[in-house]
Amino acid sequence: MGKVTEITVWTRGVIMDKEARDVANAFAQAAKMEGKFVQSFDNYEDLPDRVLVTTRKYARISDEEIEMKYLYTNAHPDVVVIVEPTIVKGINVLKGMPEGGILIINTNRPIDYMLKFIPNADLLGAIATVDADGISGVKTVDFSGSEGGVDTAGIGAGIAAPILGAMARVTGLAKKENLAKIVSDVAALERGYNEVKLQKFRKARYEFGQGA
Amino acid sequence: MPIKIPKDREVPFGAITPAPVKQQELFITSNWRIVRPVIDHEKCTRCFTCYIACPDSCWSFNDKEEKMEWNWKFCKGCQICIHECPADALSAAPELDFEDGVVRLEKPF
Amino acid sequence: MAQEKLLSGCAAAAQGAKFAEVEVICSYPIRPYTAIMMELAKLVANGELDAEFIHGEGEHAQVSVVLGASAAGARAYTGSSGVGVTYAFEVYSPAAGGRYPFQMAIADRTLDPPGDFGSEHTDAMSARDQGWLMGWASTPQEVFDNTLINYRVGEDPRIMLPQFVCQDGYFLSHISDKVILPELSQVREFLPPYKSPHPLSCQFPVSHGPQIRPDQGAPMDAQRAMTFLEVPKVIEEAVSDYNRIFGRKIDPYLEKYQMDDAEIAFFIQGAHANTCKSAIRHLRSQGVKAGMVRPRWIRPWPTQQITDALSHVKAVGCVESSTSYGGATRGGNLIHEVRTSLYDLDKRPLVTSFMAGLGGDVILLEDFYYMAKILTQMAKDKKTQQLVYWVGFEEEI
Repeated sequence: MGKVTEITVWTRGVIMDKEARDVANAFAQAAKMEGKFVQSFDNYEDLPDRVLVTTRKYARISDEEIEMKYLYTNAHPDVVVIVEPTIVKGINVLKGMPEGGILIINTNRPIDYMLKFIPNADLLGAIATVDADGISGVKTVDFSGSEGGVDTAGIGAGIAAPILGAMARVTGLAKKENLAKIVSDVAALERGYNEVKLQKFRKARYEFGQGA
Repeated sequence: MPIKIPKDREVPFGAITPAPVKQQELFITSNWRIVRPVIDHEKCTRCFTCYIACPDSCWSFNDKEEKMEWNWKFCKGCQICIHECPADALSAAPELDFEDGVVRLEKPF
Repeated sequence: MAQEKLLSGCAAAAQGAKFAEVEVICSYPIRPYTAIMMELAKLVANGELDAEFIHGEGEHAQVSVVLGASAAGARAYTGSSGVGVTYAFEVYSPAAGGRYPFQMAIADRTLDPPGDFGSEHTDAMSARDQGWLMGWASTPQEVFDNTLINYRVGEDPRIMLPQFVCQDGYFLSHISDKVILPELSQVREFLPPYKSPHPLSCQFPVSHGPQIRPDQGAPMDAQRAMTFLEVPKVIEEAVSDYNRIFGRKIDPYLEKYQMDDAEIAFFIQGAHANTCKSAIRHLRSQGVKAGMVRPRWIRPWPTQQITDALSHVKAVGCVESSTSYGGATRGGNLIHEVRTSLYDLDKRPLVTSFMAGLGGDVILLEDFYYMAKILTQMAKDKKTQQLVYWVGFEEEI
């Protein structure tokens, strides 16, 4: 069984739910285009039909066929993406992360300020921020529920596209060209790719091929 | 044959659990907030509209200090009190502007 | 043009209903199957599916509405989960006995109390005596296939029975996997339009479900039982047509994995069979000759096929994801029928059962290794020590 790279996307229910699901789904699909084996799904226990509750979406990428497909959480996330910045204050988002992982936050605040809210930031290899709200405008694209249905409002219109661009740049796990074929707002994807700010720590794991 | 339930998976008989009274330490929802209400005690007329309007009963009156007291542990940031206050004493401030006031949980549920 | 998509089990079921061109859908929300209805509502609203979408006031109403629609000659579709399945229980026997071939998609959910949406097969298993066709899918592609195949078998004029198309809640219904969607023309070639032999109409008035004397009851039951003797032939015809038209190689009754030289075997249904196959690969690399049999139908129970598949094995472990409290083994449901299928052999395999995957539990690879250790020990001792093992709840042997 090959190593499974686990990506967890934290978001808030109803108002940003679909955007986070787009992030996980689009990233997994882009990795699939490169021939990797992928899974992407929502967390089942989080009951996301409550406005503002913290919920999670998952993407799992592996070079070989994924054997344990049926799990409820990503126990050891290598990449954690935060779609709404206040979440880092209220939840230990780095729980279970092996040393040297990556944290990506959608915010316009400086990285040093965000680090004040993360007591266990010494686990991290790198932290990145991207101002997705500023790039695409803060708007809820769709209130599609999280019950495993297929979204028809188009993937990646809204804050999902800049976040995907930032993820492609920082982790290198999926190519920006493939993502551009999936998302509907390619301009925002490009801006997210270019405008992400990255700060590396000593423990960064370079197996991700960090492109920044 | 014995069926032994491991200690960390024990459940109460018939799933019957005691119900909480007033405030309890489970399901702390402070991390639902994106904004928090900030009160200007000078403008406040002690009309108790916020106390009535809050769906989570997060406003109460502190008798000793004679001020409205905000429950930071359970406020979900719905902003109903901010909209309802007739004296404009309440305003919204981003939660990230404050360094404290949120219980940091290990996992959501 | 066949399309390849990443769909969850719920989305695949909705696509199956869309390709089957269902005419009446009745919905009521309950997690986890509710995504199927959300998806169908979107398709109907966008005009991609021309169907009457009715919202029932409960699961009992759901099944009653589609029963009436089917009686009037429409292809009808509904679904439920967990306690919704048991709420509609009253209508199951009238649906099967009255020969209305509608379809009910079930995404499993543990029965209350308390409120647990994890997957457990008990909800649909408790309805297995009602006379419907029933089977569990193990991948989203199979959910799609089963939706079409069940309509074809159920609406066949020799059969005319309603069908349960079951899948594990969350593991199958919410996690996406590759699904190949065919062309509509291919589906139309496979699945002819529904023609009821006696629809409700003013020209030829019929009574459905009249009052009878007790001595007419047994012949009714016998007629329904005789239908099930016909079903296997229709299943074989339908699956061979399906394989021909869509270019697939589906076995009509069972999925057998590395059974040719197996000494121990797992009997498992549903999504966890995929994890079982991975576990078997690891066990084989360590010299354990393990195999797996997965039934695609449990009603009708493929007795002869199971007997043939398991006859040469030394020990069989039924992985039960459903409960039968107070039953003969104080465990689950599948073991009774597996043991019956194997009872008359000259050289009987030893059969035991494992309670795993209850309440939404994940069945890990380590759990399968534990089960294989017990089965290997059983085969060596030539004796069944226990009829049921609660995986995760017993002392390590």
